Amino acid sequence: MKVTVVSRSGREIVKGGIELNDSATVADLQEAIHKQTKKHPSRQRLTLPVQPGSKEKPVVLNYKKSLNDYTSGNSKTLTVTFKDLGPQVSYRTLFFFEYLGPLLLYPVFYYFPVVYQYFGYKGEHVIHPVQTYAMYYWCFHYAKRILETFFVHRFSHATSPLSNVFRNCAYYWTFGCYIAYYVNHPLYTPVSDLQMKIGFGFGILCQVSNFYCHIILRNLRGPAGEGGYQIPRGFLFNIVTCANYTTEIYQWLGFNIATQTIAGYIFLAVAAFIMTNWALAKHRRLKKLFDGKEGRPRYPRRWVILPPFL
Amino acid sequence: MTASVSPMKRLYLSLYNFTVLFGWLQVLFLVLKTLKEMGHQNVYSVAQKPLLFAQTAAILEILHGLVGIVRSPISATLPQISSRLFLVWGILWSFPETQTHFLVSSLLISWSITEIIRYSFFGLKEAFSFSPSWLLWLRYSTFLVLYPTGISSEVGLIYIALPFIKASEKYCIRMPNTWNSSFDYFYIAIVALAIYVPGSPHMYSYMLAQRKKALAKAKAA
Repeated sequence: MKVTVVSRSGREIVKGGIELNDSATVADLQEAIHKQTKKHPSRQRLTLPVQPGSKEKPVVLNYKKSLNDYTSGNSKTLTVTFKDLGPQVSYRTLFFFEYLGPLLLYPVFYYFPVVYQYFGYKGEHVIHPVQTYAMYYWCFHYAKRILETFFVHRFSHATSPLSNVFRNCAYYWTFGCYIAYYVNHPLYTPVSDLQMKIGFGFGILCQVSNFYCHIILRNLRGPAGEGGYQIPRGFLFNIVTCANYTTEIYQWLGFNIATQTIAGYIFLAVAAFIMTNWALAKHRRLKKLFDGKEGRPRYPRRWVILPPFL
Repeated sequence: MTASVSPMKRLYLSLYNFTVLFGWLQVLFLVLKTLKEMGHQNVYSVAQKPLLFAQTAAILEILHGLVGIVRSPISATLPQISSRLFLVWGILWSFPETQTHFLVSSLLISWSITEIIRYSFFGLKEAFSFSPSWLLWLRYSTFLVLYPTGISSEVGLIYIALPFIKASEKYCIRMPNTWNSSFDYFYIAIVALAIYVPGSPHMYSYMLAQRKKALAKAKAA
């Protein structure tokens, strides 16, 4: 089989095309392109060509499938469009670095009050119990996230663009410092004991629930991340599409009830906004996929992310 | 219902554009008149009212984009209008020490010429579904000169205001307080200045792309 590899502008990427045997898979083609162009398969996005000016989305080639699945009839030729996705990193690497920042930076503000001298606070530094609990809560949260990244999560996509590492790290590390600065401030005003207990109690409950939600999601996929989209069931997933995001948002609400900083609430609002967009997209996707037609199950009526609001 | 929405929308947008256009015409007239008769020190005090009106009215443009009655993307409108409002209210109105500087004149001339062209272009388009080709050309060409002069004046005025912001401690919130937060307007002004570094070339290149697209479309028509 002869495969012609072109760019989106129509320029031939591999001169003269690539000769492969008839039973070759998309993965074999990617390896062949790798040999010719030095672009690793993780950087390659192969699609079937679309007509110029066409509004329809191109069909992305699945690396597990045979190339014959994408040819018309008995044709022994195939043209694919190649896009270089740029340098890639594994999702584990991405998540590890974005969570490592807050885990290491937050305790700096707690254990080294000397930091505040650079901001002009020279006086005595009294540590309130809520600040200690907040530090443990925060570190537990990010340690949990890192451990889940390595031992719980199964990823449908193997890699993410390298640029996302810088963007995500900037987001998490900046917010980590921003919140830590105020929660550990020498002039911090603690909330009442009752409010602190309610906040942290609710937060811990949500963290445990979040972990259980991740276990449920893990079991929907095979070890290699295969399994496609399935209807999540059990526990909070019976009432909310994205229960993992729900518990994530509400556990930050618990933290903010206990610590009461504007910085924390800004982080909560931004995180909730981002996760709501993801949840709405996932909810739409699941409803479209499980439409109750042609033997497919019908997606049950559920909240999207934030019961009782959305 | 739907049949009457379009004429109502057009009537509203025409009124909006011509009202704000009148505001900016007033600003330009007063600035030039004051420069001729009294000098640059008095420019702000004379043009203040129409300036505050015309520039604050631009908030509605953000709403127009959000509601979807105009096509311009929020991502382009929001930073531009925010920076203008920050200058008008957050710098000039808040710190009278900056009002007598000659940069105020260059700022207001740059802004008003830009806005007179822009609002007359949109006003005619909404009211008569047509705007002359020379106005289209002006709309997409004057920024080549007026953006650099306007942005330089903006940056200059923020920089000039910094010592006054620091000394006055205006709009500052200090700890301790119940919500455990602080706000230092001085650092906000520095952040605003820092945003101009990547922001200005980005906006300029965005406008260049818009110019290329608009003039090519006009040529084809």
